[in-house]
Amino acid sequence: MGQLRRPTLAHTAAQGHRDNRLLAALPPDTLALLDRDLRQVSLQQGAILLEPGDPLEDIYFPQTGLISLLVIGRDGGAIETATVGREGAVGLHGGLGGRRSFTRATTQIGGRFSTIRAGRFEHIANGSAYVRDLILRYTEVLLAEAQQIGACNAMHAARARLCRWLLQCADRTGRNELPLIQEFLAQMVGVRRTTVTLLAQEMQVRGLIKYRRGRIVLLDRKGLEECACECYDIMCHEKLAPALGVHF
Amino acid sequence: MPMYYFHLYDDETIVDIDGTDLINVEAAEKHAAGVARELTAKTTGFLDQNWSGWTMRVHDNNGLELFSLAMSDFRDGNSGK
Repeated sequence: MGQLRRPTLAHTAAQGHRDNRLLAALPPDTLALLDRDLRQVSLQQGAILLEPGDPLEDIYFPQTGLISLLVIGRDGGAIETATVGREGAVGLHGGLGGRRSFTRATTQIGGRFSTIRAGRFEHIANGSAYVRDLILRYTEVLLAEAQQIGACNAMHAARARLCRWLLQCADRTGRNELPLIQEFLAQMVGVRRTTVTLLAQEMQVRGLIKYRRGRIVLLDRKGLEECACECYDIMCHEKLAPALGVHF
Repeated sequence: MPMYYFHLYDDETIVDIDGTDLINVEAAEKHAAGVARELTAKTTGFLDQNWSGWTMRVHDNNGLELFSLAMSDFRDGNSGK
């Protein structure tokens, strides 16, 4: 019987990289190309990763956390245009070289993330048609999601948007208990903080969630799905990509 | 800045547990109207009751009611989600 070996830190990190579904879906030889340069980092809630105009120097693949992409108004107000969890990545098109961020990227929910320097990712992409194609495929999905969220913010009631967002958040982090800052929630839904508080209180009375400042627990997924707008179903990652003819 | 609380009343009470700090009562009036518009937009009611019975009552930090408004005055006439 061979000698038992403790898992090494590198092994643990490699497992973590596979918690990101975009990385997990890569063919083993492609992932092996990235593995050497991928690092695992922990990021706190509220960390600003990118501001509009910033060069894309690092690419982030969430494992357990969630990143919001926000458009910032001249008055400093912010509204979310995309949410990226374990199904995706932020700054992936940095692998095409010399790209800058259009949005602010901030960690909505802290957690573990895989990250790679954009320059290294570009080098690997230059030698791999598969990686270059991955960038294009994911960018298509992200564009579709941003379009859907833009329409959602204009067309749907705040309660339906909040339900949609909570469900997406749970799906993309694998958690039903969400540590959320009220101000961030208001940005996600595009309303005042008071509106979010009152909606959350109403949803608590209906038994859909348990709400206290800084934390929301999803209690009734089916009820939340009934309250959410159709955008939740459309943007479900397992459906959105195939609907575009994109496969990972 | 003083804190203001924007509670909703019908048969049920929905309590604004967080409150908002605003510069004065005039700012609270504007805030209340904005919240009412956001809540009523594209909805027919709250807690399965139509908006006609719902009132927003705005309190200060001491629990004193400063003013109230009828939520139905802010409905945009749209329905559905």
